[in-house]
Amino acid sequence: MTERGAPRLVPHLAMARTALVTLLSHYRRHPGQLAMLLVGLWVASALWSGVQAINASARDSYARAEALLSPSLERRDGAPLSYADFTTLRRAGLAVSPLVEGTIELNDGQRLNVLGIEPLSLPAGGIGEDRSAGNDGEDGANPLGLLQPPGQTRLAPETLATLNASPGERLVGAGGERLPPLVIDAQLPPGTLMMDITRAADLLERGPRIDTLLLAAGSQTALPAAYRPTPAAQGLSPGQLTESFHLNLTAMGLLALVVGLLIVHAALGLALEQRLGLLRTLRALGVPGRTLVGLLAIELVLLGLAGTLPGILAGLWLASVLLPDVAASLEALFSASVGASLSLPWHFWAGSLAITLGGLATAGLGMLWRTARLDILALGHAQPSRADGRRRYRRQAGLAALTWLAALGLWLWPTPAGTPSLIAGFAMVALALAGSALGLSVLLGAVLEGLKRGLPGNSPRTALIRWALADLQLQLPRLQLAMMALLLALATNLGVAGMVGGFRLTFLDWLDQRLVADLYLRPPPAAYDSWRDWLETRPEIATLLERRETDTRLIRAEGERPVALQGISPDPALTASWPLLATLNADRAAAWQSLREGAALINEQLAIATGLAPGDMLTLASPTGPFTTQVAGIYPDYGNPRGEVTLTVERLSQRFAAKPGSMGLVLTPGLAAADEAALRQRLTRPLPEAGEAPAPSLIDQRSLHRQARQVFERTFAVTRALTGLTLGVAALALFTGLLAQARERRARLAPLWALGLGRTTLLGVTLAQLGGLALATALLALPLGVALNWALVAEINVAAFGWRLPLHVFPAAWVQALGLAVLVALLAAALPAWRLWRAPPRQLLEEFSAS
Amino acid sequence: MLEMRDIRKAYATPQGPLPVLDGVDLSLAAGASLALMGESGSGKSTLLHLAAGLDTADSGEITLDGQRLSTASEPARAALRRTRLGLVFQQFHLVPSLSVADNLTLQARLAGRETPDWSQELLTRLGLAEMADRYPEQLSGGQQQRLAIGRALAGRPALLLADEPTGNLDEASAETVLTLLLELVRDSGCALLMVTHSARVASRLERRLTLSHGRLLAEEAR
Repeated sequence: MTERGAPRLVPHLAMARTALVTLLSHYRRHPGQLAMLLVGLWVASALWSGVQAINASARDSYARAEALLSPSLERRDGAPLSYADFTTLRRAGLAVSPLVEGTIELNDGQRLNVLGIEPLSLPAGGIGEDRSAGNDGEDGANPLGLLQPPGQTRLAPETLATLNASPGERLVGAGGERLPPLVIDAQLPPGTLMMDITRAADLLERGPRIDTLLLAAGSQTALPAAYRPTPAAQGLSPGQLTESFHLNLTAMGLLALVVGLLIVHAALGLALEQRLGLLRTLRALGVPGRTLVGLLAIELVLLGLAGTLPGILAGLWLASVLLPDVAASLEALFSASVGASLSLPWHFWAGSLAITLGGLATAGLGMLWRTARLDILALGHAQPSRADGRRRYRRQAGLAALTWLAALGLWLWPTPAGTPSLIAGFAMVALALAGSALGLSVLLGAVLEGLKRGLPGNSPRTALIRWALADLQLQLPRLQLAMMALLLALATNLGVAGMVGGFRLTFLDWLDQRLVADLYLRPPPAAYDSWRDWLETRPEIATLLERRETDTRLIRAEGERPVALQGISPDPALTASWPLLATLNADRAAAWQSLREGAALINEQLAIATGLAPGDMLTLASPTGPFTTQVAGIYPDYGNPRGEVTLTVERLSQRFAAKPGSMGLVLTPGLAAADEAALRQRLTRPLPEAGEAPAPSLIDQRSLHRQARQVFERTFAVTRALTGLTLGVAALALFTGLLAQARERRARLAPLWALGLGRTTLLGVTLAQLGGLALATALLALPLGVALNWALVAEINVAAFGWRLPLHVFPAAWVQALGLAVLVALLAAALPAWRLWRAPPRQLLEEFSAS
Repeated sequence: MLEMRDIRKAYATPQGPLPVLDGVDLSLAAGASLALMGESGSGKSTLLHLAAGLDTADSGEITLDGQRLSTASEPARAALRRTRLGLVFQQFHLVPSLSVADNLTLQARLAGRETPDWSQELLTRLGLAEMADRYPEQLSGGQQQRLAIGRALAGRPALLLADEPTGNLDEASAETVLTLLLELVRDSGCALLMVTHSARVASRLERRLTLSHGRLLAEEAR
């Protein structure tokens, strides 16, 4: 500040303060507008920050999980690692540490991941870093705590809460074994128990095998030739696997943010329009234009903070309500453990605030621009002229056409085969939605003009309808943003409901086709063969469908990629209903015969990602060297995030040393209920032939169906909640839009009242206008919803999850959407209409005089 | 106080430039009052807007209180309006969201020149003291214009510019408002430039000028 400038500052500040108070006084007289602004901001920031809180919490869990396991080594020959490898590498001077991992079942049926580590050799910088700091406090930081009897079972605070246990308590496994006492370790991901490797290997019946050798980060010692670092893509990290899921959530959050900001934009536009006279008066009284723009920017920031901060808090509440469903979905779909309580980094707060305030700034940019260009001499001419309106419509129509063309361009843009881009898919949908929203008022205006011109005769009723249509045309600029919000919310609801409904139908069909056995049995690995031999002798069982699984890598010229490998029994009981999307020469029987003879089937995800087709050859890494076979067919595999290759169970056992898995038991037709009950009973007890191995786990088809449905419903619970809330926001936009202009509406209706129309008639006209407008918007939302449904199932789903769904349409949902739109409009119009109906004649008279 | 020399102004129209002021010279001494008359479209309001710094002339020189308006920046013209001028419009242009008292002191506060005693005196003399907490919409037309006059004078401007201040009022209200306006102008010692159609109103001011087709006709002394 210069010496000359300082004395000038004080009067300028006083002027700015007075002008700001004057500008803000508008909201004291129009609290409805203020409420509309704050509610818009509140809702937009709540939905956006709610989704971001869910994403941030999940990513925090993934980061904790990923911090545990990288970097690591594997054998070049693909053989499992053992303690001998550990010893060899330590002797070669490499700071490696063994790790076993698996899943255990507790006596109450809960399943948890178990990590077994060797604390003394654990590389610094990984999971043991701050435990080696000599802290032997209650958080279990002393690494020796894991080794000294009775040992420790470390777990994240969220896991402790989920188990409803307390520190020091000892969990009991399904086989009755007692785990070491519980100790909290906040660094661990949720759903994971960590303990000494010896205890973990016992619990997991792992014997001398180890799963991974962790390598100290930055190790300079050369690796012996027989080993190599585990490729980064080997066993995709939870963060990578769930990326699409979170992107979908983000897209939904963004849509809610946009719909919320539409309310804000409408409110700001209204506030500016009503204050044009005030702004010009202030300019005439000597407030410089730049100062006014600056003051309006300050007003925006104040409003932004007042709306956004409570919005973020509401978002946190929303996230805490939705997170358990999201966590369950992620666990079921991707085996990714996510804590059920929120864990938010600092940048969540900054990001949520920045995005909402950024959105507000974008919404308010128009207001600031108009203020900066305010024609000071046009005092009192607050309303834009009819010609201005026509010009704006033409601009809007042009912009809508351009936006739609861009969406079509993205759709038609050639992408490399088999690699549809998720971002491009979302951009296409966003452009189509934006183009439709921009074109909405142009279309509605044209429809109203057409209806007005097409009205025959000059009866009193026709005159009233003609007036109602003309009045609606006048209202359209004010209502267009609310209608846009309604269009977007309805189309999204229809699109998402169509996608979810279609997915449900397809998924349940597919489940019926794949789950053909009546019972599914998973014996302990050591007792697997004994159980199979015993079951093969049982007369109650018509067919035994074995299934094993393992992981390997698909070897291609352009590099290797991890794939899941499963072995199945190609018995007609299974193959008759197993769906195949593509086979060589469209011959299903030949494809199954090829599988029996050594060929492979691949899932749709892998086919889309790699471009492999029936008849192509594929090569897999196996412990005995590369294994090459032909692709016999492609099958749908909904819900699986990974590429998968299917072989016969015999081939898998021989070439890939796959661990024993589960068995599907198809019961003999006509089996008596008592015999079935006796068999079920028998299957829940240990088999004497299997020595001391515990009892297998048994689940029947109905339970599997139920579990799958539950997973399905929970997966889409969040989607449904967000689309429902978005529709609620649109209703709010309409309501606040109507409320904000209720006074002016009355001023326009008052002359009609003075001309002899009863208030009941005016009320009916008002409701019919709004209901009709909403109905027309909903009718336009129908094709947009179907287009969105198509884009979701045919483009976005393929890009996000790797599988394509057939397009299903649900006419009942359309009727519901039409009804909902009219209902929303009538509800929104109810309060202003009620006020009109209740307005005393004196008030109408005053408003008539004023008008 | 106000000097305007060879002022020319034309508006762009689809048919080409439309001259509104064509070499106007005008001067107004401190404390003097001048009525500017003329037909509709003769350029009266344009001249007033130029004097207020709301618009700029195509050529010519305008000096207000020794400061050249013609070359002043927009913020400088705004500062001059805020601190040295009072404006009264035919349409009142009150702030609907501020009370009567707040409307009256608005410009004085913006200029940092509020004098509570003077504001109170204005309220009383304008007959608005009992209505200080009301809002503009609750006032009659005459009351609203009185309030607009009060707002223009509350900051003790050097020059009051009034554009048809009684044009929207009935005869009785117009007379009351005009009498009050002239009284207050006289007491506050500011100069007055008033645009009016009415010869009767113009006759109450010290000097009268008539604009016709963008040029000033001979001055009539009272």
